[in-house]
Amino acid sequence: MAVVHDIAPGGGWSLRLDWHDESVWQQRLQRDREVATCNQSAEQRAITETLMSRAREGGASAFALTGSTARAQRTAISDLDYHVIGERPLHSDLPDDVDIYATDLPGFWGKLNQGDDFVQWTLRYGCVLFDEGGFQQGMQHLAKEDLWPSPALKFARLAEHIRLARRLISMGDRDAAQDQVRATLTSVSRGLLLSARVFPLARAELPQQLTTVGFPELGQALHQSIGSELTLDQLSQALDLVDGSTPVEALAS
Amino acid sequence: MSPRSKPELAHDHLEAARDDLEGERTGDAINALFYAGEAAVVALAETHGIDTKKSHVLKATAASQLHQKGVLDHDLGPLLRELNQARKDYWYEGEDPEVDLEAAYEEIEWLVDKATEGEE
Repeated sequence: MAVVHDIAPGGGWSLRLDWHDESVWQQRLQRDREVATCNQSAEQRAITETLMSRAREGGASAFALTGSTARAQRTAISDLDYHVIGERPLHSDLPDDVDIYATDLPGFWGKLNQGDDFVQWTLRYGCVLFDEGGFQQGMQHLAKEDLWPSPALKFARLAEHIRLARRLISMGDRDAAQDQVRATLTSVSRGLLLSARVFPLARAELPQQLTTVGFPELGQALHQSIGSELTLDQLSQALDLVDGSTPVEALAS
Repeated sequence: MSPRSKPELAHDHLEAARDDLEGERTGDAINALFYAGEAAVVALAETHGIDTKKSHVLKATAASQLHQKGVLDHDLGPLLRELNQARKDYWYEGEDPEVDLEAAYEEIEWLVDKATEGEE
């Protein structure tokens, strides 16, 4: 039996492992379950168990804990993030901000092959909690083809996001504007990192990653948008930084 | 630029939503309805001592609590959650909203009226 000890930089699963080896996949599942247990509070574990149970009952074929919780990088504004192959389970009665990315199996493959970064994030860094083969085969395909997400997808709606954020700033809605500016900064950060061949980790880790690829001011702006209450002027300045950091063609789209 | 009161913001977001619906700007309309609803709920919640912090789920929960307290005669928590999901689906997944935006507008308009009563 192969023994898994090959972890990629940033703590993700290495594409160099033999993902066709069933024992490798079983070791991953075991380790992912341990990490998920360790990284969640008792209340979060209960939410995850409830959602996973509902997903199974709804016919889902795979379920993973993703995002900041999977990375042990939660902040005060973190959601609980999941990736489901199948129907999105009901979550409106649960006592936390839950964000579920749900696709059917063809949709999962389509997004993987089109360069969607979130699908790859799940395969590289997510905690797979059950799988009937979709994630396993996805990981095999990712490793075999050495796929890399498309930065262009992160920039595709950037001009629209900036416009929405500026509209909220001009209306004087500070809370909503910070929400939108943070989302815009996150999106452009992921695009810039992918362009630099650095895989974007959890949101709280992006500022450090941005610094390493030459965008320290953008990293600082993102850091502040996560942890501080910014004024409308500061939010406007953060958007100016996005304008100055982004490929011109992305802003023109 | 200076921040404005939640009832004022709720009113302005609602007006923007009307324009966006008539202009068939679906994504903008979803956002405007969502933010109108959130601003109205925060305004009412503050009046009735319900904490919403900065959390979208707490604002939706506050809408349900306002209903339980009898402040609102129906529960708009589920609609706020639907709009929150709809904006993520639209802006990040490119999916059309499952929520009926004209029906949502009527509900949010009612909520904003409640939040702005006595403001003028």
